[in-house]
Amino acid sequence: MECEVEDSRSPFGGLYAYPAAADSGLSPVLLTRARLLATEHVKLSEKLAEAFDAKVAKRVGEIAPVTTVLKEWDSANESIIELKSLLEQPETDDELRSLAIEDLDSTREALPTISDRLKKALIPRHPFADLPCLVEIRPGAGGDEAGLFAFEMLRMYMSFCSRRGLRPTILKQDVEDGASEDRLSEGVIEIEADGAYDIMRTESGVHRVQRVPATETKGRTHTSAVSVMVLPSFPESGSGADNALNFEDPNSDYYIDPQEVRVEKMRASGAGGQHVNKTESAIRLTHIPTGTVVSMQDERSQHSNRRKAWQVLRAKIAEARQEAREQELVQLRRGAMGGVARMGRGDKIRTYNYGQSRCTDHRSGTTIHNLDGVLDGGDGLETVMESVRTWMADRDVETMVAEELLKEEKTKKK
Amino acid sequence: MPRLSTSLLLKAYQENTLLPLLLKECRSLDSARNELRWLRERALRDAQERSHFRQDQDQVTGTHIGWRTRLRAMCHRRSQGVPLQYLLGDQPFGDLEILCRRGVLIPRSDTESYTYEAARLVRQMALETKDNNSPTPSQPHKAKSLRILDLCTGTGCMALLLHALLASHFDRIQITGVDISPIALNLARRNLEHNIRLGGLDSRARVDVEFHRADVLRRNNNSSNGIDTSGNAIPTVEELLLSNLNLTTQSEIEHTETTTTLPKIDLLISNPPYISSTDFHNGTTARSVRLFEPKLALVPPIDIPATTDTAHSIGSKGDEGDNDKPEDIFYRRILELSLDVRARITVLECGDRMQAERVVGMVKGMNSSGSEGDNEGEGGGGGLKVEVWPDTEEDCLSNGFHVRDGSSVTIDHLTAAAASVGIGYMVTWLH
Repeated sequence: MECEVEDSRSPFGGLYAYPAAADSGLSPVLLTRARLLATEHVKLSEKLAEAFDAKVAKRVGEIAPVTTVLKEWDSANESIIELKSLLEQPETDDELRSLAIEDLDSTREALPTISDRLKKALIPRHPFADLPCLVEIRPGAGGDEAGLFAFEMLRMYMSFCSRRGLRPTILKQDVEDGASEDRLSEGVIEIEADGAYDIMRTESGVHRVQRVPATETKGRTHTSAVSVMVLPSFPESGSGADNALNFEDPNSDYYIDPQEVRVEKMRASGAGGQHVNKTESAIRLTHIPTGTVVSMQDERSQHSNRRKAWQVLRAKIAEARQEAREQELVQLRRGAMGGVARMGRGDKIRTYNYGQSRCTDHRSGTTIHNLDGVLDGGDGLETVMESVRTWMADRDVETMVAEELLKEEKTKKK
Repeated sequence: MPRLSTSLLLKAYQENTLLPLLLKECRSLDSARNELRWLRERALRDAQERSHFRQDQDQVTGTHIGWRTRLRAMCHRRSQGVPLQYLLGDQPFGDLEILCRRGVLIPRSDTESYTYEAARLVRQMALETKDNNSPTPSQPHKAKSLRILDLCTGTGCMALLLHALLASHFDRIQITGVDISPIALNLARRNLEHNIRLGGLDSRARVDVEFHRADVLRRNNNSSNGIDTSGNAIPTVEELLLSNLNLTTQSEIEHTETTTTLPKIDLLISNPPYISSTDFHNGTTARSVRLFEPKLALVPPIDIPATTDTAHSIGSKGDEGDNDKPEDIFYRRILELSLDVRARITVLECGDRMQAERVVGMVKGMNSSGSEGDNEGEGGGGGLKVEVWPDTEEDCLSNGFHVRDGSSVTIDHLTAAAASVGIGYMVTWLH
């Protein structure tokens, strides 16, 4: 960081010094943004050298990768120009010329990867990215079959997490009224590892299954749906008092006023206390303004059911608020320039087709022809999720470009 | 109890053949399903442990043979009414795991709720007194000691949970659990060790929490002579406290001049037997409770030992004492004790609102007549506050203990409060 301070060249001036992304596929808008961040980095680093401030340090840490990659990008471009001018000079001898051509080729090859990395570094981190998460699985259309598949998805995610060493725990597993145990009506997995939200967030949405159900007698293929929601799980109170995610702070975006939550204990009427020994420990929470209902009955202790119910309620409301905020941004962009695609949780994101033994993700367009490998939560699933991550990053870059363009237009109008 | 409908039984049977057995006690499918899951988990775990054990011993491949049989047996016993907690051997209580066994009352979730509330009150009280009585701001934050007395402690659940909740807020904490049953005391001590091992309790609890045998109902025969065992092996609470004081606390130098002064208690908490013998037999008390839980912990004894002593030891209050309903006898005795130990907070569990109101009446009566007594001019009736915490559905107690707005009913509003059948908890607050 200190060497950055000593760097006499103004990073912003660099914008005009180099041909802006003529042959690298990096849009000038993004480059401007990167330069701006680099300037901010220099300024903040200077500030930090004088006096330490946790907030400034955090920000510096956030934008440091951008600055580093930007430097690489600059030096690559610089060497390309140098090599080119070397080639253009008539007095260069042949040996040097062939070396220069070699160098030029390798640098040119490296440039796209560098600009890719720059793009990635520019994407703002998701506010919940570092948090553990809850994965909620609910059957959608398709009746019993959807419940059966929901159960299989629960198992898929459980083994996926175990393989990656994420230690999943089942918070809630409600089965439907019916003949068998494996018909889920609602399941919640808790993944306690930090950053689990970022790993799992590709999974939010409607998953579609096409197969001949076990219950089908005439051999017809059914299509049913299971909806998956990935929710942020907030740390227990007390930890991380300074961050914006502290849900106990009334100023936090994710604060829930306890007055707005109705708590219902499932308790039979009649005498209580010593007179009875009820093992029922169910708790139901209703967030009145949004109508969000969470009920929890899996644990023997009412106390821990209540705690878990609060955890899920908090997660749901935080996710909904974040969703609303994103939606707002999308609306803004649409209003300004039209057609920025966004996949919500209501959209069909993936299809599991048993007949063709394939799994297709509709966002990235990836198809895996080893359905069992996917349903085991193995490498197949990882491949699909990785492709979605790339897709999401591309989308993020697109929206970022759109945003920057919007800003530029506004400044021009002025 | 209404008969279970055939359709419900049929539905349960189709889902799992064991469910109808559990329905007998659970009455609802949801609850029966949960119990079946808990029982199955336990049966599987036991089977696995046993097979591991067997493999270690003589390489016999002990597979899962037996867990189904065991599960079936447990379900059958459950259908006979054996409490789930006796079958599983434990019951979660806050973050603790309380071991349960026959002969000792199983901790209830109501008890859990108000234990949390009591802990909150104690913390609040500690904060308030620090604000008022500490002119020196340099006084360290938690240089405070706390003394808690838990009468009729049973499994020791309240004493242990209070330690778990409060230990980090106080430098010195001394919790005494008292019970008459040696089985309960044994279990309470085991629970102490068990939860230290599990990590729910700090290891300092081993020193801080003690369980002793005493007869809560028996009064001191001779108030002038403190430790006078009248041939009875079970000491009274006063005797216990006095002997305990001499043994353990050297720091209480202020009290050493007279051994008859009982130590001051900050919180007196109790879940005494409070079921009337009518309610015990007329169906109000659930079959499983009546048949399998100890009557000793549920119904106060009819033959009150040494009723005549009432007049002797507390004067004018004796007349009222004789009019107490037999199921309320513990409350009068505990309230007297709470005056004697100058308890700053007293929390008592009551069976229903009527009983809670009777206890409030007792407090009022004792407060008006007994203020000239042992209360050492601490304001007499002025600083006394009684609250009944109802256990209604919309009660804030269940609200994650965030806020308590108006859900606690003070004496004056007591008659206006909605009549709800349920459990009422009561606090007296001596200032």
